[in-house]
Amino acid sequence: MDALANELKIRIIETLKLQDITPAQIDDEAPLFGAGLGLDSIDALELVVMLEKYYGIVIKDIEEGRPAFASISSLAAFIRARKSSP
Amino acid sequence: MEITVVGCGAVTAVGQGIDSLRAAIRANSSGLRSCARFKTPIYQSDILGAVPNGGLVDDPVFHLADLALREARAQAAATLDKFPPARIGFVLSTTKANIEALERLIDGRPCSESAQKHLQAHGLAADLAATHGAAGPVQTISLACVSGIVAIQQAAKLLQRDAVDAVLVVGVDCLSPFVAAGFSALRALDPLGCRPFDRDRNGLSLGESGAALVLARGHGEITICGWGGSNDANHLTGPARDGSGLVLAMRRALKAAKISPRDIGYVNAHGTGTPYNDAMESLALRSVFGDECPPVSASKGMLGHTLGAAGIVETIICILAAQEQLLPGTPRLTAPADGAPTQLLKEPRAATNLRHILKLGTGFGGVNAALVLRHG
Amino acid sequence: MANLVITAASIVTPDDLNRFQFGMRFGRLDSVCQLGLAAVEALGIDFASQPRDQVGICVATDNGSLSTDVEYWRRRNEPGGASPSLFVYTLPSMVIGEIAIRHGLTGPTLCLMGGSDGLLTEAADMLRRDEATACICVYCDVVSALAAETIHLPATARACAVYLQRGVQGLHVLAANDRDIIPLCAKLCT
Repeated sequence: MDALANELKIRIIETLKLQDITPAQIDDEAPLFGAGLGLDSIDALELVVMLEKYYGIVIKDIEEGRPAFASISSLAAFIRARKSSP
Repeated sequence: MEITVVGCGAVTAVGQGIDSLRAAIRANSSGLRSCARFKTPIYQSDILGAVPNGGLVDDPVFHLADLALREARAQAAATLDKFPPARIGFVLSTTKANIEALERLIDGRPCSESAQKHLQAHGLAADLAATHGAAGPVQTISLACVSGIVAIQQAAKLLQRDAVDAVLVVGVDCLSPFVAAGFSALRALDPLGCRPFDRDRNGLSLGESGAALVLARGHGEITICGWGGSNDANHLTGPARDGSGLVLAMRRALKAAKISPRDIGYVNAHGTGTPYNDAMESLALRSVFGDECPPVSASKGMLGHTLGAAGIVETIICILAAQEQLLPGTPRLTAPADGAPTQLLKEPRAATNLRHILKLGTGFGGVNAALVLRHG
Repeated sequence: MANLVITAASIVTPDDLNRFQFGMRFGRLDSVCQLGLAAVEALGIDFASQPRDQVGICVATDNGSLSTDVEYWRRRNEPGGASPSLFVYTLPSMVIGEIAIRHGLTGPTLCLMGGSDGLLTEAADMLRRDEATACICVYCDVVSALAAETIHLPATARACAVYLQRGVQGLHVLAANDRDIIPLCAKLCT
């Protein structure tokens, strides 16, 4: 079990104030935007804030974040990559 | 009986007074500049439409509105002098009122009683009305960026209901860290300053203004002849991409004015310079006007997005256009985007017999508004 | 012109929020929007059967987005900076957007500051002018504990709503002196 992926699910639920959903109900590979969780552009910006607040990662250009936000897996991979090459 | 404009007043990034606005229209100039007012590097952009010598520390919103009202009332004196104060109404349009007072209260800095009172929009309206001799009904409109257009509509309704004989209408919002930080967080500001309808546009620029009109029943040079509103029912901050909400507002306004699209001689767009707004607005104009879109221009490259003042000050630009028979250009536009209105005016152009004008607005919360003015 | 008739009325407080199923994203709404949506929900109108492009929305409030303004500004210096989703709700009129989105309503809208008096007059005017054939009127006012402490105002959280229609039978025929939605809802909701 990927601890970072699970932690991200908890943080996203908390940051975006999602109701009536548990981390177990969010699939690692499911789309976060559009389909799947159905997040929108404002959520994307809020996740950018979350990345800085909890992981110290600054995203200057929102387009840079787009591939990272495809799913929980891609977000976890993005964080790992950023943290290993500062 | 018609609703006519008998006075205007404005303070903007291009200066104090209607004459400065008129000069800026003729010169197609921009009041947007790199501005150090907030003294912080954290915002996306420092290009702002700041009132020259503005940045007054205490109660700036009351101050700007007050200046605009004085000018408008001076112009309208002959009309206003005919009516007792109880028959003069007041409508305020603002999105954040004197929000700087909230910043001070939370940050623990001293704040005057009046500045704090004017944090509440209706408190601001009450004091402005009292200062300016309006003892009739007072309404405070806060409908995001269409507040100004709706305020004009509400004033016209008060007159048509015979609740008043004249109405002072004022729109005001000041630059603030509160708002700049928010639009920065939304990444909605263009770091290079807004360029409405431009191919390379990348966001809006904030501005500040106090802008006022005096309306009365009667026959005059400028008539308010119709309005329309709608909601996109789509998303809180992004417009319905096909422009259908704005189309509804436009069609309702034209119907209320009893005219058809081909009667419109000029459109002043909302034109914020964000990728989505301007694309949506271009589509909406095409839906309503088809291949016969009248000349269109946008004023936010001149003044910035003045939020609660925008609908009023940009209507004043329309009024000046009609009086001068000069169609305004679109300051800061370089190369029009694909799909931009076919008669998008980059530079001002002399008008021949400009009669009906359409002013458009859209705002957060999916709101849309359109206003039809007639000259002559 | 046919009578203007109130066909539904409601009063809600925060305790009523868990009566309704709003879905996963309800938590994003600020307290004002949550309460306003609940007031509309409590009217029990099936909007799918209404002419949704002809339903107006008129909102009145005393304190608007003040509570969200305070929260947004207080939290702006947290790592990562100001919250975009909080900023979106720092306008008194966002509850209109939430109501419109939830029920697919594309009619005209209005948001008045300075209390509940006059809201019904404006809604009635909208209907008499044929700008809409029905109107949702909502008074919604929230001052959070934090805002109360910051601005020295009493804390409050309340909302009420009516559905105003033309030419139908209903709870109450709107009288000329029915200006204020609060006492009218108090009367109709007992």
